[in-house]
Amino acid sequence: MQKSLFSFIWQFSARQQIFILCVTVFSYPITYILLELPKLIVNDAVQGDGFPRSFFGFEFDQIAYLFVLCISFLGLVVVSNGLKLFINIYKGRLGERMLRRLRFELFQRVLRFRLTHFRKVSSGEIIPMITSEVEDVGGFIGEAFALPAYQGGLLVVQLGFIFMQDPLLGLAAVSSYPIQGYIIPKLQRKVVILARKRVKNVRVIADKVGESINGIPEIHANDTAAWHSADVSDRLYENFKIRYQIFNWKYFIKFLNNFMNQLTPFFFYLIGGYLVIEGDLSIGALLAVIAAYKDLAGPWKELLAYYQMTADVGVKYQTVVENFDPADIYPVERLTSDEKVALDGDLKLSNVSFSGGVAGQEVFDVSLSIPMGQSCAVVGPDGSGRAEVLQLAAGLLSPVSGKVEIGGQDLDKLAAASLGREIAYVGGAVHIWTGTIRDNLYYGLRHRPVVPLERDGDSLKAFNRRLKEAEETRNPTYDVEAVWEDFEAAGVSDMDKLDRHALELLKAVGLESDIYRLGLQSRFDPKMDDDFAERILGVRKQLAHRIAEDKNLAGLVELWDSAQFNTSATLAENLFFAVPADPEITMDQMPDLPEVKAFLKVTGFGEKLQDIGVKIAETMVELFANISGDSGLLGTYSFITQEDLPEFERIVRIAKSNSQRPGLSEADRARLIGLAFKLVPAKHRLGVMSDDLKEEIIEARAKFQDMVVAKNDSFVAIDPEVYLPPLTIEDNLLFGRARVDRRDARRRIDEVIRSVVEETGLREPIIFAGFGYHVGVAGSRLSASQRRRLALVRALLKNAKVTILDDIAGGLTDEDKQARITLRKVLAGKSLIFGTTNPSIAGEFEHQVVLDQGRIVSNEHQDS
Amino acid sequence: MSLETEVEVLRRVPLFRGIEETKLRLLAFISDRMQYRDGERLCTQGEEGDCAFILLSGVADVLVKTPDGERKVAEVGEHSIVGEIAILCDVPRTATLIASGELDVLTVNKDDFLKLLKEFPDMSLEVMRTLALRLEATTQALAAARSANGDE
Repeated sequence: MQKSLFSFIWQFSARQQIFILCVTVFSYPITYILLELPKLIVNDAVQGDGFPRSFFGFEFDQIAYLFVLCISFLGLVVVSNGLKLFINIYKGRLGERMLRRLRFELFQRVLRFRLTHFRKVSSGEIIPMITSEVEDVGGFIGEAFALPAYQGGLLVVQLGFIFMQDPLLGLAAVSSYPIQGYIIPKLQRKVVILARKRVKNVRVIADKVGESINGIPEIHANDTAAWHSADVSDRLYENFKIRYQIFNWKYFIKFLNNFMNQLTPFFFYLIGGYLVIEGDLSIGALLAVIAAYKDLAGPWKELLAYYQMTADVGVKYQTVVENFDPADIYPVERLTSDEKVALDGDLKLSNVSFSGGVAGQEVFDVSLSIPMGQSCAVVGPDGSGRAEVLQLAAGLLSPVSGKVEIGGQDLDKLAAASLGREIAYVGGAVHIWTGTIRDNLYYGLRHRPVVPLERDGDSLKAFNRRLKEAEETRNPTYDVEAVWEDFEAAGVSDMDKLDRHALELLKAVGLESDIYRLGLQSRFDPKMDDDFAERILGVRKQLAHRIAEDKNLAGLVELWDSAQFNTSATLAENLFFAVPADPEITMDQMPDLPEVKAFLKVTGFGEKLQDIGVKIAETMVELFANISGDSGLLGTYSFITQEDLPEFERIVRIAKSNSQRPGLSEADRARLIGLAFKLVPAKHRLGVMSDDLKEEIIEARAKFQDMVVAKNDSFVAIDPEVYLPPLTIEDNLLFGRARVDRRDARRRIDEVIRSVVEETGLREPIIFAGFGYHVGVAGSRLSASQRRRLALVRALLKNAKVTILDDIAGGLTDEDKQARITLRKVLAGKSLIFGTTNPSIAGEFEHQVVLDQGRIVSNEHQDS
Repeated sequence: MSLETEVEVLRRVPLFRGIEETKLRLLAFISDRMQYRDGERLCTQGEEGDCAFILLSGVADVLVKTPDGERKVAEVGEHSIVGEIAILCDVPRTATLIASGELDVLTVNKDDFLKLLKEFPDMSLEVMRTLALRLEATTQALAAARSANGDE
């Protein structure tokens, strides 16, 4: 990578820089004329004489002359400012493009780092380098050449003028430049060193903050918050110190520069004055020189600022770039090449040695050969070199000496396109990507876009622009919205088949029932798949039928019935007989929805709910007033938290008092209504629901349908014939609520749902709905074992010729044994290398290699 | 039935007789109201007990395991509390309870009941007193039975 900022800028934007320079130079005479024209207008057109005058054969009288001059002035203003606008945007765009190129280059370099390099760098340091540290570079690039050329040019012109007036005065004018030229870089050097220090210190801070976030459970578990606080605070102080020093130097340089600039006039007045008095210089010439000198200050100041900026940005660039140039970085072709070399043949390690730099990560002179299509157990405890041998075989590590080959191809010389598609590797620590289960399942098939997305009209235009920009900045032109799944590699013809194949594998590793449960809990959009929604409605009917037939079951649920009050549901659900379209809306937010507000006002339910809210709040306050906060009773049973209790106490007091003032505020009312909304009568038994009120609520439902549901999309009516997208699939299947006043009702009704789902063959589609489940940041919503099994399915889906598994299902339990048998079955006919710490299971594989302290201690094979 | 009616019933339970009404209301509020149909089990002998039952209305049969299967040994009716031993000390259920006809029950969770006792020491005292009285009665009954046996 270019070591210095200027070579980076020149190499990738020389043409544009020259263009900017030309436009800048071209704009100079325009600016000059623009400054001169007003003088001409005043002196010549207004106060001048000798009219009419003739120009280019045209005659102008005084008014016409004034008019022409003013029009040209206006024209020049437009041209000059237009040019400025154009060049500024041009510079900004160039800067952004160069920044994009730089950032992408840096990111691509991160991808090119060898695995071992990541022991030395942390994400906490790399991230600010790519994001914030190079930010200033973008703003600088547009100015990099034009500014010094332009301002330097101005300076030279002005200086030339002074020298023409009097060489001696000229010398006096530049007399301070050598001193400034000598001292200022010296001082600036100090600032540069400090700036480097600062950047590094900020990186350490970023790293420490990042580490604290990752290790937060440890901090809490060990009460080390104070230690971390002290540590970070110390770094912040360090940062302050450096910055303070930078300020000192920076403003000192400014001071010195200003001082020197003021010193020169001192000589002018002294020497020039002397010369005038002596009669060697005219007073007019002296005044002209002093005026010219004043004009020097502008460009000189700009140049100095530019110099400081260059030093600052340059050092930032260098401090970033030096981290992205490790000696052993992979060649870029390894990433970009799309040429897949088929890895058919035996896997052979010949005299392979590797050193991770620490004891326990070494491999000495390992030679082994695994014939194609056979399986081999690599046995050894952690630190025996087992993991390293497996990673060497996967092409993830490069041997220090020796050769790793598959079918005669040296893995070290192959591109990721071959290694990543022909070899599947699952190591001890798997990574699950933030996204859906589907994203993670098919991750191993997303090498290049396979089916381009059809675009037309505006989206095509936007896409073409995106492509053009990408080419401009040497970014990849891959379309992230295309279909990337390589169906062919997975051995299927389309997405549907791929889903089915994935399902089989999920069954094989025992993850299918987990995904089924996630599927039940997930929401799905019926617009995506009418058929599925229809089938869910079918199950709903069947369930209702079964419940109607079985008296025992009927006692366990309260089905939705528009003419019945559902005591196991909340008051809000009962009143609206609809659910908010956005499942994120909580009960507390509901009273504030405009349509709800309007409805409550029109029907007069606002008052009634408010009264209910007061009654509830009153009871809660009365019941829990003497309960200490830490007992936990309040949190479990009340709908009010301990913190809210005093607030509700106040609201109750106001509501109960007869005086009009202060009265309940709008927010208080909303809180009370929100409280009433949450009431589940069968559960809370507060005696606030009279039969009359229930009747009224049932009657009001129709009104809500007319007023709200029919008119806008924010609520979806509870309708037995319709799939309700805001509810989970499970809630859609059972069209009602399990009764809260029957013991185990939920569990018993779940069993019935499960059996109906199985009977109707809906299990599969529900699992596919579960594919859309979002696994959280880095799979945090899955258990460790689920993550491992998901990673395993991901590897198996790749359908690779060589599969390498490290420490997966290596136990002696029946479950693990079964898992190994299924794995062998799935991978029949393909090479399998199975790393394990457990020597007793090695016999299950055709070959066994036992490692100890980085050396092979036994290498056997048996005929199966 | 609302809290108020539940409190009425609770007041008639000997264990809670001396306890203030507001505390009974709290007890009622934190309890779960459950309905049982004829023949449904409330609890089974030998399993871990995590709650006590207060019968609001209806009757439950008390069954004990014998070599010939389960045998009904007693009946509990309205306003009685059953299974309270299990929530005070960790012993397995000593008998099986089966609803005989429709049964309306207030279920008090073990943890919540203990929390309540911790919150209101006078309630603990009352519970202690009732249990002590019951122990006294049992001791006397035992003595009577022994002396009856000795007479034989």
